[in-house]
This record gives sequence, C-alpha cells and structure tokens, in this order.
Amino acid sequence: MINNVKKIEFNNKTKATQSILRGIPSSPGLVHGKAVVLEPESIILPDEKIETKNIHEELDRLETAIRDLIQEFVHALSKVKDDAKNVASVLESDLMILTDETFLKKIRNKIEECFSAENAIVQEFDHQIHFLLKSNDHILRERANELDHIKERLISVLRNRCIFYGSGKNSIVIAQSLTPTDIVNFKEAGALGFITEVGGITSHSSILARSYEIPEVIGIKEATSIIKDNDKIILDGYTGSITVNPTKKSVSAYVAKKQKEQEHKKQLGELAKLKAVTTDGKQIRLMANINVSEDIETALIYGAEGVGLVRSEQLIISKNSIPSEEEQFNWFKSLADSIFPEFVTIRAFDIGSDKYSEGMPKHEQNPALGFRGIRFLLHRVDIFKEQIRAILRVSKNKNIRLMLPLITCYNEIEKTKKIIEECKKELSKENIPFDNNLPLGIMIETPAAAILSEKIAPFIDFFSIGTNDLTQYTLAVDRTNEYVSSIYDSFHPTVLSLIKLTSDAANKHNIPVSVCGELAGHAAATSLLIGLGITELSVSPSMLLELKKRVRETSYQDSKKLADEILKIANCEDVRQKLSFTNE
Amino acid sequence: MIEREVKIVNRAGLHTRPAAALVKIASKFNSEVTLIKGDFAINAKSIIGVMTLAAEKGSRLIVQVDGDDENTAIDEICKLFDSGFGED
Repeated sequence: MINNVKKIEFNNKTKATQSILRGIPSSPGLVHGKAVVLEPESIILPDEKIETKNIHEELDRLETAIRDLIQEFVHALSKVKDDAKNVASVLESDLMILTDETFLKKIRNKIEECFSAENAIVQEFDHQIHFLLKSNDHILRERANELDHIKERLISVLRNRCIFYGSGKNSIVIAQSLTPTDIVNFKEAGALGFITEVGGITSHSSILARSYEIPEVIGIKEATSIIKDNDKIILDGYTGSITVNPTKKSVSAYVAKKQKEQEHKKQLGELAKLKAVTTDGKQIRLMANINVSEDIETALIYGAEGVGLVRSEQLIISKNSIPSEEEQFNWFKSLADSIFPEFVTIRAFDIGSDKYSEGMPKHEQNPALGFRGIRFLLHRVDIFKEQIRAILRVSKNKNIRLMLPLITCYNEIEKTKKIIEECKKELSKENIPFDNNLPLGIMIETPAAAILSEKIAPFIDFFSIGTNDLTQYTLAVDRTNEYVSSIYDSFHPTVLSLIKLTSDAANKHNIPVSVCGELAGHAAATSLLIGLGITELSVSPSMLLELKKRVRETSYQDSKKLADEILKIANCEDVRQKLSFTNE
Repeated sequence: MIEREVKIVNRAGLHTRPAAALVKIASKFNSEVTLIKGDFAINAKSIIGVMTLAAEKGSRLIVQVDGDDENTAIDEICKLFDSGFGED
C-alpha cells in the first residue's frame, strides 16, 4: 500500500506540462525520444598577457590542440561512406580551415605578441567572423557560424573538454549549435534527431542531417534552457514543430502521423530515393505542384525534386484580398525552407475577373481573353512590385525561380525585368539579401508564347508549359462549357506541335522546359512528353510515385520515335489509338 | 609574374565546395597565387581568404601567379573557373 502511494506521488511530480516550440524544419522526418541537452561552451578569457618565456609553451599547446582536432575531423571523415560525397566535402572544408597555413600563421604571430593560445585563437577567428558577418551574402554569414563552431571546438580541446557522443544514443540531441563533426559522431552513436538554437538551412550541419535522413529542427531560441535532459520530445522535421513532454492526445496524433509516414515509405519502397531516369539514361526532373502549404509535406515524402509550380494566387483566393509583401514572404519562405536545397518555382499572381473582383473590370465579355495574368500585373505595378520584393527576399538561399503567367509578347518580359531591377535596387539600399541571378521563366500557355518561344528563349531561364490553358487557347474551347467540352483535348495534334516547338527552342538554347498541366500526370502522356523533349514534369504531389515508376520504365529512344510518328498524325482519334487509350 | 581575368560562371558562386577545390589546386604549385577582386587581394591557398572574397556568379576576378611553375598553375586554375568548378 505504502509503496503504491509513493509511486503515484512520484508520477505526479515528474508529470511535466506540454509545451510546443516552433522552429525551422531543416531535415524532414518524424521522430520521438528523450532529450539530451548539450550545455553551451562559455568563452571567458583573462585579459592579461603571458610572459615571454611562456610563448613556446603556448605555441605547443596550440599545435597540440590543432593536431587533436584535425585527428577528430579525420576520424569523422573516415566514418563517412564513399557514396556520401556531399558529407565528405563538408568535413573536408572544415579540415581545410584547420590546415590553412596563412590563417594559422596569424594565430601564431598573436601568441608571439604574448597572447595566450586561447586569446590568440579568439582574436583571429573573431576578426574573420566579424568580416564575414558584415557581408551582404547570407551564405557567407552562415560560414561565419561555422568558423565560430571551429573556434569553440578548438577552445574546448585546449581546455581538454570533449563531448561524450555516446550520450546521443536513441536520443534527440539539443544544442546551441552543432558542427558537421558533431553530426557525424552523433549519427554513429545512434542519435534520432537534432534540435539547435541557431543555424541556417544552408549550413553544413543541416546538409549533413539531410543526407543522413536524421530529422532536424533549427532556430528554436533558448532550446538548451527550455528543454531539460530526459524530457520527452516529439520532433517533426516536416513542419518544424517540437512537442516537449507531449500529452496523450499529442502522442496519439504523432503515432497516427508516423504510421502514415511509414505506410508511404513502405509503398514507395526504394523508389523514393531512386532518380527518375529512363531505361537509356535520360534524367527527367519530377516536381510537385503546390496549392496549399500541406502539399509540401507530401512532396517531401514522395521525394519531389523541387516545386514546379506554386499557384501564388491561392493566397488571394483564400482571403479574398491582395496579401501584403510580408504575408507572401512568410508563405514562400516556409515552402522554400522545407524543400531546400531543391528549388521552388513561384508563379506570379495569375488572376482574372472570373477569379477575383476587387479592382478588376466589372463586366468583361471574355475574362479568359481579358485583363488577367501578366496583363493585370503590369497594370498594377504596385501589387506586382510587392510580390517581386517578397520573392526576391525569399530567394537569398538561391532556391527560388520566378515564373510569369499568360505571356504573349516579348515586351511583357522586358517590362517585368525592369521592375525586377528596380526592386533589386531598393532591396540593396535596404541591405536586404537576395539572389542576384534569380531565374526568370515564363508560362507557355498561349499559342503566341509557343510560337514565340524560339525568339524569346535567349532572354529567359526556363519555360513551363501549362497544357490546360494551352489547349483551351489553341482550340478556342472552354472545357467547363458542356456544349463544347468534348472538343477539349490536350492530345490534339496542334497542342502537341506547340509543345514540340517550345521544347525544341528550350533544348536548342539549353534551358529547362517543364510541363505543369494535367497532361504531365496523364499515364498515356509520359513517354510522349519525354519523346517531345520535355526535361521536367510537375504534378500534384500524390502522383509523383506513379509518374516516377513510368519514367523508369520508359526508353528515351523509343519515346522519340513515338513522338515523331505522332507528330505526323492529323486526326485526334488516331493519336489516341496510337497511344493505345480511348478515353481520359 | 603572370595574370589573367576569369569570370565566375557557376550559379552558386565561389562558395565552400568551389573554394575548397580552388585551394586544393592552388596549393599543388610552388608559385604564389593571388586572387584580386576590386581592391581586395587574397592568397588563393588560404580557404578563409577565398571564402571572404565573396565572389558571386558573374563577378570577374584577376588571377595572379608568381613562381617557377606559374604557367601550368594559371592554366589549371583558369580551367577550374571556366568549367564552373564542375557544378551545374
């Protein structure tokens, strides 16, 4: 009896309340486990100088520390398998910093000026870190973090402190920051996940976590003080959410999501990791179309190689007003961060008076032929500029492409480029980083654009064929109109000719050409599109697996022959027969 | 001493991996290898130096090589730049 009471009391005492923390998802996956918290290293140094007679001793300490740390890095490197080139090159670059003679000489000189080894290291590292932090290039600023890690590790080694990596076994490691070496060693020890306070998705540690497929969430402020050793943790590397000491309800939600994830993985088998490559070796990039934020999770699970289309007008449609630059930035950023390093193609607002009324013409006779897409954007430069600013701001990690809807004339591209340049100037003045080489592409969804493609290819970074609209505009048919919808046919010889025209132009000028309409996911179209020279296909995320399977069963040479034969056919029915299907 | 102008053609610029590749190649030679961007000059055998150069796609740099093997060195180094460091 007494024992029982004690037991209950014990349970009550340790029953902590649930808290949910939100960070940046930097490596996808779902995992639970107990927390192991690494205390941050404090670097407080005495100011006074050393005596001249001690210089030799300090130089020796420095050399020993560097040698030990190099050994630690080399050891980590030896554990990296041959196929993980990404991982190896990251560790090698850290190793190169420790063997950078020009840099080490500066540290030695400082010691010769009677500074202690610690002091010399901190001064010289901080000098470089300070310099990198001033840079406008945010990737360089991230490199500053890595220098900071190496500095801290050097100081630790000088003080004979070492991290006990074994503690990470079956645990979720919580740290202020982690070095690539830490990630390798914790992975070896069997850590389940990582949570850090600082770091960026482009940092070397995040690259490593992703290639090891260990879920990681970064940017959780004060994680090492909020989370205690042995706290129960649910880590969601898809959404960036951390649940500390979850309630029963959260645990069952986790179990359900985990089951779903495992079912998906089982279903995928090895396919998720395999490339979408034809039997004769031509690589096709398979991407996802995104309408709502949740789509990105599915895209990640199914191994999408980027997002081929974000319908940004969904933001307008869902709130029935034009979203602010900040709202757009936040949405685009969450998409781009989750799928990094793959890229996200954002299509500028594609709205017409049939989709949105505020500030649009009241009674357009033909909204489909009216004030929409790029025409609306170039008329409302204020709205267009805010969107471009949002996109440029998100582009700093260089994984964003911008795509223009409903292009029919060259001057629409020229005008847009001028606006982009204006936005870049503004952002530079405001000291806001962006990708100066932001790829600009256009939708090919009108016959005009397809016919013009050869002439505009030199001024553009990619084409994306929207087969739904291209069919509608080529055949002059509204597919929602029941009287004529039977004429609507994306396999119509004219539509296929326009696709061919576009992909020829793209391949001649060596730029990617994708299909993002329904045709991309059509079972009978895969071989045909590959044969027509399409290099990228973008479909709704749940179709990715099937599509990949089909691509891997397709021969590029046979597809080319098939496409050539089909391009000779005049009758739609014959096309269908040749592709051996009768109805959609 | 010889020098040649090069242009950064790979999309990501002179970031970590290309920087590491450059340092590796430059370190093979006896010659001093200096990279100059504007009024900023660094030792191409120093990874931290190359990192701080912050050279983006499209930027132009001067490669300056001085030493007994300068001719082979400049050829190899420029080849590396022209090939976009084997990236995209």
